Amino acid sequence: MRLRLRNIFLVYFVVSLVGLFCALRELGEDPFHPPDLFKAPPIPPMPPPDPFHPLYSPPDSFHPPRPPPDPFQPPQPHFSPPRPVQKAELVRLSQTLLHVPALHWVVVEDAAAPSALVGGVLAASGVSFTHLSAETPPDLRGRPGDPSWLFPRGAEQRNRALRWLRDTRGRDEPGVVYFADDDNTYSLRLFEEMRSTRGVSVWPVGLVGGLRLERPLVSQGRVVGFHTGWRPERPFPLDMAGFAVGLRLLLAHPRARFDPRAERGFLESSFLGGLVTPAQLEPRADNCTQVLVWHTRTEKPKLRQEEQLQRQGRGSDPNIEV
Amino acid sequence: MGAASRPRWTRRAARAVAIRSMGVSSAQHTQCSAAHRGGNREAGSVSGAAVPELSRGDSSRCVVSPGLLPRESLRFLLAAPAVLCRSALLLLGSAPRPLQTCFCNGWVVSTGNEELWAQSVLEMPKRRDILAIVLIVLPWTLLITVWHQSTIAPLLAVHKDDGGDSQRDLAAGLDSKEYCLSDRDIVEVVRTEYVYTRPPPWSDTLPTIHVVTPTYSRPVQKAELTRLANTLLHVPNLHWILVEDSQRRTPLITRLLRDTGLNYTHLNVETPRNYKLRGDMRDPRIPRGTMQRNLALRWLRETFNKNNSQPGIVYFADDDNTYSLELFEEMRSTRKVSVWPVAFVGGLRYESPKVNAAGKVYGWKTVFDPHRPFAIDMAGFAVNLRLILQRSQAYFKLRGVKGGYQESSLLRELVTLSDLEPKAANCTKILVWHTRTEKPVLVNEGKKGFTDPNVEI
Repeated sequence: MRLRLRNIFLVYFVVSLVGLFCALRELGEDPFHPPDLFKAPPIPPMPPPDPFHPLYSPPDSFHPPRPPPDPFQPPQPHFSPPRPVQKAELVRLSQTLLHVPALHWVVVEDAAAPSALVGGVLAASGVSFTHLSAETPPDLRGRPGDPSWLFPRGAEQRNRALRWLRDTRGRDEPGVVYFADDDNTYSLRLFEEMRSTRGVSVWPVGLVGGLRLERPLVSQGRVVGFHTGWRPERPFPLDMAGFAVGLRLLLAHPRARFDPRAERGFLESSFLGGLVTPAQLEPRADNCTQVLVWHTRTEKPKLRQEEQLQRQGRGSDPNIEV
Repeated sequence: MGAASRPRWTRRAARAVAIRSMGVSSAQHTQCSAAHRGGNREAGSVSGAAVPELSRGDSSRCVVSPGLLPRESLRFLLAAPAVLCRSALLLLGSAPRPLQTCFCNGWVVSTGNEELWAQSVLEMPKRRDILAIVLIVLPWTLLITVWHQSTIAPLLAVHKDDGGDSQRDLAAGLDSKEYCLSDRDIVEVVRTEYVYTRPPPWSDTLPTIHVVTPTYSRPVQKAELTRLANTLLHVPNLHWILVEDSQRRTPLITRLLRDTGLNYTHLNVETPRNYKLRGDMRDPRIPRGTMQRNLALRWLRETFNKNNSQPGIVYFADDDNTYSLELFEEMRSTRKVSVWPVAFVGGLRYESPKVNAAGKVYGWKTVFDPHRPFAIDMAGFAVNLRLILQRSQAYFKLRGVKGGYQESSLLRELVTLSDLEPKAANCTKILVWHTRTEKPVLVNEGKKGFTDPNVEI
């Protein structure tokens, strides 16, 4: 196509009409997101929090205030926090966990040392907690512009919590371990469902994997497959929030850990593969037909005016914790 | 063809003919056919469109069919502006010489008298120029208008909601009240249910906090309300007024409210939808949640008597924000209207009222329009119930509200700046965060839905 004014005109008209049609089409529908499942706002490498959760559950004895979920937190705000919603997420999660009896919250920060911000939230929450920290090595940490799914998030921190459990829990101690990210939503019924876990129990997770829900398929009380839309060839196509491990089983396998170099989506499989086979999974939530946990994600807040002001030296008071 | 040196007239006429051939209207059809009678062959007609054919011995036969084949539809698109221009010129009365133009392999080709072209160029350059400019600008203005308003016809009638639905579940022991209200075009049904169950604890001395939450159906709705309920369960003497943006109360919300065990009232009112648009677009001129909050205010005024009601505080809580438990205790001591900082609003870490040494609010520490009468977010203030009952005409303004002025539309009818009570340690602590939840990417559902729609999420 030769570069003539006529051709340019034609191209222009076509483009404008196409743009008009697109605009009209978008009026009736919500915009269709690009098909990148793990596309997240460009947050600097902050692993999501991760609960780690032994529960004590003999039917007729005293319940010590024990089992911990374990969210771990990103590094500290020096000036403005790389993840500004950290405190809000922790506050919100603590309000849910405060309802659950016999729960111990193990929080592992992705930082060199436990921070005061997180420590303050945990102390004020009223939940029984343990505050740890484990820093992701620089070669496994994405650069600030990288998409969040480039490296598996939270593997090092969850391993740190596993180590804490192995160091502090006795071999025959009853309990259940659950990994809970701080931006997910948990119903109170979920914790009661997982309390009876002996091996590894599973349930559906809502709003994950590009679907309304992902769930294991159950037939006659056993898991026979998985209903998922993304990479179903994974050995355990589950989300981190979709399973819980019995403490005894975990302590019986001292080498089970999360592989930080696992491929995207295979983090859960790298851990569960060392513990059980899919056929041994215990279904919960009414034979995996009810959604009791949702993989919600929080938007990164728009802090454009804040950044402008800070460039001018008139930023908001950093002593006021947000 | 010598297209490079063709005068401007040729190109525009070519476009005119091409649009004409799309079959814009039959009137123009006959007009154009008449003009093209000078052609060697009768214009072939396909689906009502007529295109003059090239008589130059070129092997291509010009055919335009309305979008039957992709290639032809591309020619259609290319031809559209040209034909429009040409027909407009005809209407203007400028009678151009019959020009034979058509497409050959996708290119606009013109033949005709060169002398006449030269004349035409000299005679009426102005009208054509103006027309060409108008036609170039037209699609862009349409595009911008459409994008800006995201509605095609702002004058469409507001949808009338009959509201007289027959869902009456009068369970034993429930006080159910139903009546239809006429409010211009909107008819809503108000039902109330009092459910007093187990904790949160209830004391006779603490003022009740009435938390008004508008909500609408979307994939994360149940999740958001679940975690908000988990928060509210910790607050004593709390009454949750949940107002749905729907035609009738949905079973999902009904069940959720019942299962939480909270003290609640379940209302609903539908924001008028713009049904002419594809999908379910609500009227964008009414800010989201306004009608629902107004309904809650009306319910409060009708339920509580301003003379001998229990002390209460009204707080507007959206379902995606994050609230600390301390916030609810701070607002309990509100006498008129109390305010505090809110995080993650206005593009800042937090927005807050400016408080002087005497403990009075004198301004607003915001970047976005700090000269609003009340430059505060919906989650940043609470009102004493008595004030709501006294000023019984104070509502959120429905229409004609600029962005960020919604809160002011209510507060200016209730209180002045000097009456505001600063909380949260003279507005130095953040107790509420304006978090927003990402819209979940449901790409793998596809068009027909991959997961079982009966499973509630």
